[in-house]
Amino acid sequence: MSLLEVHDIHTFYGKIHALKGISIKVEQGQIVTLIGSNGAGKSTTLNTICGITPAAEGKILLDGQDITRVPAHQIVTRGVIQSPEGRKIFMRLTVRENLEMGAFTRNDKAEIARDMDFVFTRLPRLKERIWQLGGTLSGGEQQMLAIGRALMARPRILLLDEPSMGLAPLLVEEIFNIIKGINEQGVTILLVEQNALMALEIANQGYVLQSGEVKLADDADKLLDNDEVRKLYLGEV
Amino acid sequence: MVRRLLVVFVLLLIAALGVTAYAQDAAPSVTVTADGQVVIGLAAALSGEGLAPFGEDIQRGAELALEDRPTVTVGGIEFPVSLDPQDDQCSAEGGQAIANRFVSDASVVAIVGPMCSSACRAAAPILDEAGYSSVSPSCTAPDLSTSEFSSFNRAVVSDAFQGRVAAQFIFDVLGLTSIATIHDGSAYGEGLVNVVTASFEALGGSVVAADAVNVGDTDFRGLLEDIVAAEPELIYFGGFAAEGARLVQQLKNDVDGGEIVFMGADGIKGGEFPGLAGADAEGVYTSSSIPSDANKEAVDALLARYTEKYGIEPTGPFQVNSYDATNMILDAIEAVGVVTDGTLTVDRAALSEYLRSIEGFEGLTGTLNCDGTGECSAADIGIDIYAADGSLSTVAVGSPGDDNSIVVTASEG
Amino acid sequence: MASTASQPATTSGGDGVSLAQRIIKLLRNPLQVAGLVIVIFLVWTIIQNLTGLAAAGRPLSVERIIRVIIFGLAQGSIYALIALGYTLVYGILSMINFAHSEVFMSGAYIGFFAIHWAEQSGLLYSNTALALLITVTVGMAAAVTIAVLLERIAYRPLRGAPRLVPLITAIGASIALQQIFLRLFGSATRVYPEVNFYVLPQLFRLECETIDGAEICKGMDLINGRYDVQLLGMELQLRPIFFVVFFLAVLMMAILWYIVRRTKIGKAMRAVAEDRKTASLMGINVDRVIVSTFILGAALAGAAGVLFALYNTQVSPFMGFTPGIKAFTAAVIGGIGNIPGAMFGGLFLGVTESLAPTLLGMSSQLEDVIVFGLLILVLIFRPTGIFGEVLSEKKA
Repeated sequence: MSLLEVHDIHTFYGKIHALKGISIKVEQGQIVTLIGSNGAGKSTTLNTICGITPAAEGKILLDGQDITRVPAHQIVTRGVIQSPEGRKIFMRLTVRENLEMGAFTRNDKAEIARDMDFVFTRLPRLKERIWQLGGTLSGGEQQMLAIGRALMARPRILLLDEPSMGLAPLLVEEIFNIIKGINEQGVTILLVEQNALMALEIANQGYVLQSGEVKLADDADKLLDNDEVRKLYLGEV
Repeated sequence: MVRRLLVVFVLLLIAALGVTAYAQDAAPSVTVTADGQVVIGLAAALSGEGLAPFGEDIQRGAELALEDRPTVTVGGIEFPVSLDPQDDQCSAEGGQAIANRFVSDASVVAIVGPMCSSACRAAAPILDEAGYSSVSPSCTAPDLSTSEFSSFNRAVVSDAFQGRVAAQFIFDVLGLTSIATIHDGSAYGEGLVNVVTASFEALGGSVVAADAVNVGDTDFRGLLEDIVAAEPELIYFGGFAAEGARLVQQLKNDVDGGEIVFMGADGIKGGEFPGLAGADAEGVYTSSSIPSDANKEAVDALLARYTEKYGIEPTGPFQVNSYDATNMILDAIEAVGVVTDGTLTVDRAALSEYLRSIEGFEGLTGTLNCDGTGECSAADIGIDIYAADGSLSTVAVGSPGDDNSIVVTASEG
Repeated sequence: MASTASQPATTSGGDGVSLAQRIIKLLRNPLQVAGLVIVIFLVWTIIQNLTGLAAAGRPLSVERIIRVIIFGLAQGSIYALIALGYTLVYGILSMINFAHSEVFMSGAYIGFFAIHWAEQSGLLYSNTALALLITVTVGMAAAVTIAVLLERIAYRPLRGAPRLVPLITAIGASIALQQIFLRLFGSATRVYPEVNFYVLPQLFRLECETIDGAEICKGMDLINGRYDVQLLGMELQLRPIFFVVFFLAVLMMAILWYIVRRTKIGKAMRAVAEDRKTASLMGINVDRVIVSTFILGAALAGAAGVLFALYNTQVSPFMGFTPGIKAFTAAVIGGIGNIPGAMFGGLFLGVTESLAPTLLGMSSQLEDVIVFGLLILVLIFRPTGIFGEVLSEKKA
């Protein structure tokens, strides 16, 4: 049984049919990436899994349990954590408060403190800025904070939406290293990325989305070798 | 969706225009069929801080009048009379709304009310245009009878008189020479204070401070500090119970004004005022028009019936005026109504003319003679003082004397 | 980020130049010029009055000004407590809860039944502190109940609607609540009983009686007492109630500040205020946080209602309107959505309203003109309100 199974989901924004039957499987301990152009339905897939834009049809199973109709804030307590596109850290909360918000559903104070220490060892730059307001951080620091905040929820599966967006190449590399490191600690990751090359390089599995449908699904390294993928998403002529 | 809303809106607009057109056509006369009812409108404040008891009092006065005279007889046929009581909110907006409501209802023959001068002033032009008549039991602002409103009549003494009596009482009976005035911005309060100021200065007294409050405000302490600093011997207040009670309480408790006498008029006589002001009501003077001594027995009998019927003591000062106002209208209908084929027709112009020129109407408040301006009452003004328990006792009576003078007689004791 | 860092540098640099530049910049906007003219006129009138009235033999004594300021602070505390409710809800929903004035009214009105019961049962006299505590608790509970119902019935179903819709609904809810109270309890104005609440007889040797040679003192009457106080050579007659209202308001504001800044639910409120969707990704139950915000605002308004009624005595279904509209003005002056702004705005408005007629030698009837004129001035010079930077940051 896979950790997360998405079966043929359909999602609508008003009358717009955004997802037209997407199916995805994420195995425990893997990094799975969704690639595709803008408007392909990558972020919508994540939001549907999280319950933000509930699916009109289809099923989402976590450990075999149906979570399709569970409200967004309760999905979090089951260990499905999203770090949203554009980072969306709380600008008017301090770094520390942002991390505390990540642990909102938990009440084990000692454990939370331990996890915060863990985040700081992984992301030492956040520790220096612990009392600063989120809005005063640089773009890279904000992305680190967004990831750190997601980690504070003790995710079983972490959904990362465009973590490299708007960052300088050096920082992108750093962020991807962090993601890999987190995965090595045993956290399953579902990664949505524009930067398909880097995403496929660290992923086990890859799905290519187009117009709300899964166009290709395969092992990440096979996708890297796929001509069509190379042409369309990896920028090769 | 938007289009549907638009259609509904247009339909409503057409309906509203239709109603207005209909109302204008119906203006000159009222017809009541043999099985119909003569409807008298009643406008008084039936809600609002410190005002509703006055309004209910006025409504009950009219109800008692109809209990005594449930029908009007014209041409040998009896037509039952019914009352249509509406809330005038004691405000200009309320008066306007209520006047529009009555003029769009062609079955309303005439109106008892409105209750407050602001409402009377706002309602009068609308009633004028529709040819309606009203008799107010309580609109006392002096300028209402000098503004050439054809619809306005009152069965109560103008403040032009009440204010003069008050000024003379303060100067002659209390022997005070410096006062301050506060009004509440209402037509009634401001009009009354203007008369008191003019009369008091004419007598030789001085008004050392004058201020005004907003209805609904609660903190008058700063204002009272300023007034107390001017060291008046008395504060004269033109307004109603809610603001009056706050002023008295704050004067006595929050600023250094315990020694200053507080006086108001019919706006704070009876009703909610003693309850609102509590123990601080003690020593506050009020005034109002009072029924003549000749009718004392009849008035007492009416008040006894009031208590029996409604289960509470009459509170405000106007139930007797309302009783008279209702009877004036009923008299007028009987005098000008014409019956043909069992249908009663009342010409609005004739009704108005009759009301404006009533002579020798023997009401409970006294003999009413309408002088053509809407001024009908010439009753005396009684001045009362509150005791600690909120009860009133009369300390002086002001009556018209010769040559437009005023005689204020202090009661014994 | 860059702007916050560079701001202090520009202001601390060449002061004279920047001041002149700022004035020139001000003068380019005709509205601001008009505002400036009004400000200069007001200052001139005050100076005229301070000197003119003294010449006329009616000196504006310092004592009088101090006492008028104290009255204003008490009234301003009430405004501040109500204003916080407007600002909290605005901060989280970007919606003006016009029915908040009725939440205030319901606190005072239902509190009346509690204190009336205490008076009838004698508790008000046998154990005044407990009776007052019950009254405040009942008032707060009533206000909270009304606010929660309001949110559930009138606002939550409209969560996704355009902003104008909940605004109109709020005005409708305000009128509906007034009418419901009117029909349920009648139009008669209710009057809070006179309470004497004596405290600390050991410290304040006041209202003493000598019984069997021993002097027994009742202490200071916090609610109805009025005492002569010598202060810096001035003789002031003061009522402790004004200070009680002020200190209780400050205490409640401090508690609110603590809740919003330090507790988990408070942090969640700030998170929801900033970004509702992301907050729900954190597992925050957004609906529950919104309800908590209504509860906090209502508890403050309910307590304000009871305090207000304890020293102004009259309560009626319509009593909320004027304080409500003034508190809303205070919230806007302080910068709506901003908590310190609402506190400051309320106190500032209360004092201005109380003091301005005295200083300007104007009729008190004009105090509303001054209050709303002040609002216009603030909106001309600082459209975001005095403490309003946070709001603009949010929009940016």
